[in-house]
Amino acid sequence: MVVAWATLRRSWLVTRRAYPWSYFIGTLLLGVFTMGVAYLGLRAIAGDQVSAEFAGRAGTADYLGYIAVGATAYMFVVHGILWIGKALIQEQREGTMGALVVAPARRLPYLLGFAAFAFTAVALEVAVLLGFALLLGVRPTATGAVDAVLAVAALALAVFGMSVVLSNVMIVAGEAHITQNTVFQAMAVLSGFTFPRDYLPEALRWLGELIPITAAMDVIRGVFTAGTGLDPARLGVAALIGFGYAAAGLLTMPWAERRAMERSF
Amino acid sequence: MRHAARIFRAEALKQHRRVFGSKLVVFSMLIWPLLTLAQSYYTLRPLAATPGIAERWPLAADPERLLAFLATGALGFTFFFSLVQSAWHFTFERQTGTLELLFLSPANRLVVVVANGFGALVQNVWLFACFAVAGFTLFDVARVAHLGMYAVVFLALLVPAVAWGALLNSLLIFSRDAAFLYTLLDDPMWFAAGVRLPTFALPGWLRAAGSVLPLTGSLVVVRGALLDGRGVGELAGELAALAVLSAVLLLTAVAALRLGEARARRTGQLGLF
Amino acid sequence: MIETVHLRKEFGTKVAVHDLNLTVPLGRVTGLLGLNGAGKTTTIKILATLLRQTSGTVSVGGLDPVRQPRAVRRRINLIAGGERMVYARMTGRENLWYFGQLYDVPGRVLRPRVAELLDLVGLAEAADTRVERYSRGMAQRLSIARGLVNDPDYLLLDEPTLGLDAPIARDLRRVVAALAERGKGVLLTSHYLAEVEQLCAHVYVIGDGRHLAEGTPAELVAQSGCHRTVRVAVVELTPRVEAAARAFAPAVRIAPGGVVELSGPGDVAGALTSTIIEAGGALKGLEIAEPTLEDAILALNDRPAAVIA
Repeated sequence: MVVAWATLRRSWLVTRRAYPWSYFIGTLLLGVFTMGVAYLGLRAIAGDQVSAEFAGRAGTADYLGYIAVGATAYMFVVHGILWIGKALIQEQREGTMGALVVAPARRLPYLLGFAAFAFTAVALEVAVLLGFALLLGVRPTATGAVDAVLAVAALALAVFGMSVVLSNVMIVAGEAHITQNTVFQAMAVLSGFTFPRDYLPEALRWLGELIPITAAMDVIRGVFTAGTGLDPARLGVAALIGFGYAAAGLLTMPWAERRAMERSF
Repeated sequence: MRHAARIFRAEALKQHRRVFGSKLVVFSMLIWPLLTLAQSYYTLRPLAATPGIAERWPLAADPERLLAFLATGALGFTFFFSLVQSAWHFTFERQTGTLELLFLSPANRLVVVVANGFGALVQNVWLFACFAVAGFTLFDVARVAHLGMYAVVFLALLVPAVAWGALLNSLLIFSRDAAFLYTLLDDPMWFAAGVRLPTFALPGWLRAAGSVLPLTGSLVVVRGALLDGRGVGELAGELAALAVLSAVLLLTAVAALRLGEARARRTGQLGLF
Repeated sequence: MIETVHLRKEFGTKVAVHDLNLTVPLGRVTGLLGLNGAGKTTTIKILATLLRQTSGTVSVGGLDPVRQPRAVRRRINLIAGGERMVYARMTGRENLWYFGQLYDVPGRVLRPRVAELLDLVGLAEAADTRVERYSRGMAQRLSIARGLVNDPDYLLLDEPTLGLDAPIARDLRRVVAALAERGKGVLLTSHYLAEVEQLCAHVYVIGDGRHLAEGTPAELVAQSGCHRTVRVAVVELTPRVEAAARAFAPAVRIAPGGVVELSGPGDVAGALTSTIIEAGGALKGLEIAEPTLEDAILALNDRPAAVIA
């Protein structure tokens, strides 16, 4: 607990001094323009209608609301992974990873502390994007407070699990740019952020199931978009894959750190 | 001229070694543009498959032609964004000290920044460009007035892109805030240039803002020639505007280089020297 | 030759170079010395066209770097030590080829020259290896070859041997001496004063951007007022020996371990040892240290400019 708290505090202090504005502006702009295209397209191309196929598959005819929830969730996921997943490679680049590996602190509290910080920061950033959605006339609803909390928690767990695994990949590869962008772009297609996954060919739908974010997004859709409430089956899958990723990542982390340290010396 | 040609060759080799230094480059060259294309296609499909679309936007009534429209957008964006990326890499030459060596040499500065952009462009876009051409042929979606229009399309992408690259290089090598410019030219560029929407869908102020981006004009020509079968005569106005814009970009690049170098020689700051 | 007249460079309110008159003729190595922040690098960068002077004139082989920068750039090159300044993703040979293109060296000249330069800096075997696999010293040697790729008339060397291994630095000094013999004009700044003493026919000393002194290394030593030092080690330092030594000259210093030390003009070694022996002292060792350029530079820097002028 002490380690988690210390990490949270340190991250806040560092961030207050040098906030990575380009991360925030970059992901915010993507969200804003995704909604912007949806808004303009809906008016000029679709004449304020949406195809029946979409309404059937998405469980709603509110296209703009659908995109707004998706774009917001995407910002939450991307930014969460940028913070948590890149924590270790950042330490590696700044040369503080050696100190971290030597310190007797366990990795889980360190990462949880970092995640607590990241989700606080991301929540504030997501609020800005939601404010923009409100301006466009989107009125977000949820099927209930408990549903909403559980759905967001499922997504946060998925982000955490992905981050731990990606963190290992990044420090072993000594590379973040290609890894992170490929994962982000793949998620944007596979996990149902801006269109129902049913549009995809079946093989790609199954590929999407390998990412914990996909099941968590289905839960989010039930609560925030379709109004069908919490889907216990999908919630279970999301939790299972999310914990699986986190556990696998934590178990392989000592190996990844050793590889990274060997490579850098 | 001969010296300029030699600088082009030299920059081409340098960019080749930089771009293909790692095999992972295939991700940024092909996989990312394809994933972005897939996402924008599926996102727009619910809007295209609506009653009365044939009157509002005839092209979108045919899913394959909608995909072709978005593919031209993705291709144009790949052209212009690859130059944003190469300008961003150019700024690293300041840290490694090689930028100073470029300025120590007698090579013409404008030729160096143009050659740098051209080298990066050719290396970065050929894979996706080939893929796009193959896709167009396979789906048989192109409606072209005559074969010469393919050359017009190619030049309408290449010339403004190179001018754009020269300007970005000239601005970024003297700028400390390259990261911010990089962010600013990613998402806003595709939004304002009509990469994913036809220009009629954009509000007037956004069209005005987008008109200063050469990508906007390039896409109008490319789509007009490839998807609507328009000939040089019909596109004359757009082509002239694009030529003027390219010339303005190049002249601004020349001015930026002159001012930037003079300032760097005077102050020794700007991190350059 | 390179000539500066009343050269002055200001950065905002800070004056980096004050009224500097400097001549770098062809066919010899000219040194430019001073402590850190003396204005050496600023001066070199003005000559290299990378900086523009605030006032004063510069002429490089009769050309004006302000009005004819491109013509000047063809005839000069700059090698700065300590930094890599080459492209990591390209091989050594490709780097030299690349810079050869920027300098518009004709292909039939460039190819043999690249091979020759790689040989010269001992990189012939690593010519086709990417620079990212080079050691620091190899990359630095490549950057020396890069500085010679346009066969410049004037070579500006800013700490070229900084961080190089001793044998490589020695080879580089041979190259520099050979270049001057072949008629090139070389301007050298270095922290290794022995290097300057060995190579430079003429040396300028600057401090705080001002001209402090100039001349051959020997002349500079003479001008600095530094003297040779005589050290006499005695087996046992008895009070009698000590008193005799102090009586010989008030400036005598007695170092721990029984070393009698005296700096001064003229040859005092014989007289001092005789005095000590006469006082019953037994000699263990005798050392006569000539003043070095380093002593001279430190002494010149400690003096106010007005005194030297």
